[in-house]
Amino acid sequence: MENSAAFDLSGALRRWLDALAQTPEIKHENLKELEVHVRDSVTQLQTKGLSTEESFLVATHRVGSPARLGPEFGKVNGRLGNLLAHGLILLFVSLACFFLWSILLLPGVMPHWIAGREGIKTILPPAFSEWVMDSRSFLVGPPLLALAYCACIVVNPRRRSTSWTGFFAASAAGLLLLALPVGIAVLLPIIEFMNRLASHSIFH
Amino acid sequence: MLSKELVAASTVPIVLSVLTDGESYGYALIQRVRELSGGRIEWTEGMLYPVLHWMEDQGLIESEWREAETGRQRKYYRLKKGGRKALREEKEQWMSVHETLTKLWRTQPHST
Repeated sequence: MENSAAFDLSGALRRWLDALAQTPEIKHENLKELEVHVRDSVTQLQTKGLSTEESFLVATHRVGSPARLGPEFGKVNGRLGNLLAHGLILLFVSLACFFLWSILLLPGVMPHWIAGREGIKTILPPAFSEWVMDSRSFLVGPPLLALAYCACIVVNPRRRSTSWTGFFAASAAGLLLLALPVGIAVLLPIIEFMNRLASHSIFH
Repeated sequence: MLSKELVAASTVPIVLSVLTDGESYGYALIQRVRELSGGRIEWTEGMLYPVLHWMEDQGLIESEWREAETGRQRKYYRLKKGGRKALREEKEQWMSVHETLTKLWRTQPHST
């Protein structure tokens, strides 16, 4: 019993908690819960005749090592980051679609500009550019779709742990597919503009 | 001793079942399970907490920090409606495994 009186339980517990706190996945509230657990466990083990020190060693051993606990807590505590990642991807998709929508204004403006510069009558933008420009309003679709998906994740607790990686891959692939026709639609009038500039400087 | 896989698979239904008897906290839950299983179900005690937090996140249980009679602050867990529903489903599944195995072993008396 002399031994147990000499053992500083609070100090040992503090050191043990400090070591656990080095694991980033374990939050402050988790530590508080684990501390109560070890105190309960020590009290219980002492009634079985173990010294305070022995009780502390057994109790902390039963709780498990930081290396084992960290990943398990990480699975639960990482979810806020996961939701945040979903939000960021949604923002990215929305901004990207807005950007695509904005640059699709170019093919409409450029022919007038060329015409003005060249002193000739207004020319029509290439047919493909015109067609893509007319379908511009469809660019609202992807952000709405992404928003609906994110809402599903937030509302349904069973889906909350769905990783953001799949969403990111689908979004990136979708945006790439959209960017391709938009890019061509914008490039076509630019190419035409260059051609005209070239012919202008040759023939005049 | 139960295999690691079986311990992991049975944790949620066991916690739900224990909480059916009323609210409880982590340490008491572990003690109850150790007692009921005769020591055959040994959890790495710290691992129970992430499971409890996951269950709370899934809407199966809810928790509250409260002072116990001993003056110690403890986090109590209590079953929610979603937890009762989940337990009914778990029960059905575990019972069907149990019944199937029982039937099989009854017809194979010499195999064990």
